[in-house]
Amino acid sequence: MGYKMLIAVLFSVCIATVASAHTPLCSCFDNGDETITCEGGFSDGSSASGVEMRIETPKGEVLLKGKMSEDSEFTFDKPKGDYVVMFDAGEGHKIKVPGKEIVE
Amino acid sequence: MKEKVTAFFAGAAIVGSATLASAHFQMVYTPEMAMVKGGKVPVKLVFTHPFEAGHTMNMGKPEQFYVVRSRGENAPKKTDLLETLQPFTWTSLTNSGDAWETTYQARGGDHIFCLVPEPYWEEGDGFYIKQNTKVIVNVGGEPGAWMEPVGLPTEIVPLAKPYDRWTGNVFQGKVLVDGKPVPGAEVEIEYMNHKPLLDKNAFAKDGEVEAPQDAFVLQTIFADDNGMFTFGIPRAGWWGFAALDLDPEYTYKDKKCSRDAVIWIQAKDMK
Repeated sequence: MGYKMLIAVLFSVCIATVASAHTPLCSCFDNGDETITCEGGFSDGSSASGVEMRIETPKGEVLLKGKMSEDSEFTFDKPKGDYVVMFDAGEGHKIKVPGKEIVE
Repeated sequence: MKEKVTAFFAGAAIVGSATLASAHFQMVYTPEMAMVKGGKVPVKLVFTHPFEAGHTMNMGKPEQFYVVRSRGENAPKKTDLLETLQPFTWTSLTNSGDAWETTYQARGGDHIFCLVPEPYWEEGDGFYIKQNTKVIVNVGGEPGAWMEPVGLPTEIVPLAKPYDRWTGNVFQGKVLVDGKPVPGAEVEIEYMNHKPLLDKNAFAKDGEVEAPQDAFVLQTIFADDNGMFTFGIPRAGWWGFAALDLDPEYTYKDKKCSRDAVIWIQAKDMK
């Protein structure tokens, strides 16, 4: 019983350490060919592969939904109007990138 | 008496040139090592004496110039930049010298710029100098393989991110030659005391600090038995580390050639 408790405690300590030691990162670049590429990751260097990506209107309507690739990248066609890129790795790990701020 | 004075001056001249000669530093310069956003950045290769913004040596066309980009867990990618280099002239406080420049489009992660210069013939010392130089630029804070050796023939591998040092932190590095640590390597350290003005391709006239005595212009430390060195950073700005003569038997065109390894860091004040 004591042994199991110890493992449980150690496990939760590990999880807490990982969670507090990284912050999400997402940078987007205009490829100059009407497409945008976003690169995601975490400050500790861990991969963002599989993280949900949403392209939304400023009002929050979803235009496009996808996932970060194996290389933690997401490329999409540049929307005509105003848009916001949402990198959503769960509570406390979300990033909003306004389309207006995306340059080459 | 006259003879003694002449001999004294001759001696002083030799000592003077020896001191200057040891302060050669290969610069690979771009304004910001820790970029918030990506974009096009200028990169300048200048072989000079940075603390005093002194004599700038003429650089021949480098043997190699490339960048290794890595981001997160992605495999590092090497891009050759040699053919993008253009010659230009850099002006120091005392002369002008042949240098090389390019522009580079940086996206997220670590960008390790690696320069293998053509050996420079130092007439005053009677030997060649070859300073393989590494500068690591990071975009957006996402780390890559900054701590891995890139495989330069001589190399300083950082044990702390060269682009995230606060003033007062330490910087640690490991000196390698042909991939192996160099016990007791001599490491010279210089502060980039005159701001490089990229629009003028020159150093700023005024220095940031004044050395109270010549020993402070060029600090010297030694690596430990594992080739590791530690330096406490007293001031914000660019600091260069040059590990010298890592392979004393090395020659180039039948002359002695000092195989050196250089790395730069950029520290920031906490404010």
